[in-house]
Amino acid sequence: MLSCLVYLRNSSPLPLIWYVVLHSSLMGVDGHVSQGPWFASVLTLKTSAPLRAEPKKKKKVDPRREQMVRERLKKKLKKLERVPPELIPIEDFTTPAKYMDETRVRGAPQLPFEESERRALLLKEWSRYKQTQHRAEMEAVGLAVEAQREALEELRLESEELYQAALRPDPLLFPFNHQGPSYTPPKAQYEAPEGKYNNITKVYTQ
Amino acid sequence: MAAPCSRMANRPLWQFITNVRRTGLKHTGVRQISLSSACRAATQTRSKTEGVASPWKLYGAVCLQRLPVISQERNPIEDQFAELMHQMELERSLLSDHEQRLLEDSERMTRKQADNYDSDEEEADYGGQETITAQDQEDSWEQKLKHFQPALRDRGRSGTPLGSVERCLGDSLVLLVQQTVGKETIWLLPQAQWEAGETLRQTAERGLNSLPEADFKATFLGNTPCGVYRYKFPKEVQTECCVGAKVFFFKAFLSAGSASQKEPFLWVKKTELQGYLKPPYLEKVDRFILNL
Repeated sequence: MLSCLVYLRNSSPLPLIWYVVLHSSLMGVDGHVSQGPWFASVLTLKTSAPLRAEPKKKKKVDPRREQMVRERLKKKLKKLERVPPELIPIEDFTTPAKYMDETRVRGAPQLPFEESERRALLLKEWSRYKQTQHRAEMEAVGLAVEAQREALEELRLESEELYQAALRPDPLLFPFNHQGPSYTPPKAQYEAPEGKYNNITKVYTQ
Repeated sequence: MAAPCSRMANRPLWQFITNVRRTGLKHTGVRQISLSSACRAATQTRSKTEGVASPWKLYGAVCLQRLPVISQERNPIEDQFAELMHQMELERSLLSDHEQRLLEDSERMTRKQADNYDSDEEEADYGGQETITAQDQEDSWEQKLKHFQPALRDRGRSGTPLGSVERCLGDSLVLLVQQTVGKETIWLLPQAQWEAGETLRQTAERGLNSLPEADFKATFLGNTPCGVYRYKFPKEVQTECCVGAKVFFFKAFLSAGSASQKEPFLWVKKTELQGYLKPPYLEKVDRFILNL
């Protein structure tokens, strides 16, 4: 009579505890267990409670569960991203620390009375000069505008078609570029020397 | 078509106006009003029938300006004020890196020349390197600057002819040409007669391009005329359909150009226009030529 007990540990996800008792040739006439429910014959195949259930299949709930986990993670990520981006600092508004040094302060000069008087009078004269200049400019511009208005009036009297053509904006005029006056006139056939430079401006990305 | 117009009409007209003003009559005013009402009637009928032509001939002229190349000389008050501003800015500023370096170097020199000079201590601080003082650097920079010779500012001050574009570089100049109008040749802004089918700006461009032996590249500032000069022909030239002429001016800036010296071109400042243009013409033209 062979009896072989095979006991497998529960190492896989599916519980597998089963005793196998090999049946010998000595079986009852009808092969029927008679000793009672708890005393199954050693010759019959003994099964434990988990084995009596259906064998483990891949459940449909699992992929759904995984998907749910992934969606929850994505929602958390989105919540974190909704934080407004860090503001780019304006470097012109923050005084660098090295200019707060006291050793950099220039000695404040004590101006004599005549000097301060001269300065005050010069400032007043300058404001007067600038005022006359501004008035002259405004008058000149006013005259030019008046001249243009008269020209358009006369043109209208002449021909409506030309008047409409004159009122149309010129698309080719802008962008208009012009090099302003410099201190010295440009040199003819001057070759500027080539130079290298390292650009150390800080670039911020949001 | 009709005979070309002449500016001779304007002198007697102008004198007549001044005489009228002295006597206190307003005939010319009445005449002008009646003329403009005739023009308006003409335009109204033209809009309906399109058959009546205007009695005024149209011309397109261009006011080509060469903008200043160098900055102007300062007035005495501007000079004083610039100096004052510079002084005040200097007083209110902090020491720069370069100035601090200069101070440190001078201090180090005084310490070196003192009696209790400890060279080991100094070299421990500065690592025993050969330091280039800030003063040396300043001297080397000055030397480099002397190698560069800029062009002279008063290049176009004296000696350049009136026809050259390189004249007064600090002011904006206007181009004048000599053209025959009627019976005489006079200096005026380049103009051309308007032909049917083109806008007045195209007329002005044509007038500029048709200048003999000159090649000016100009940027016209828009389609709108900046001024108008209206004058009547002398009595003998006037016909029914042609009473006088209207010249519409367009502004343009010179971008590039050259001209031969043979042709009579003039580049003049605004203050010099008086010597070349006729007074009524100058009165109208002076308004839109800005000296800014």
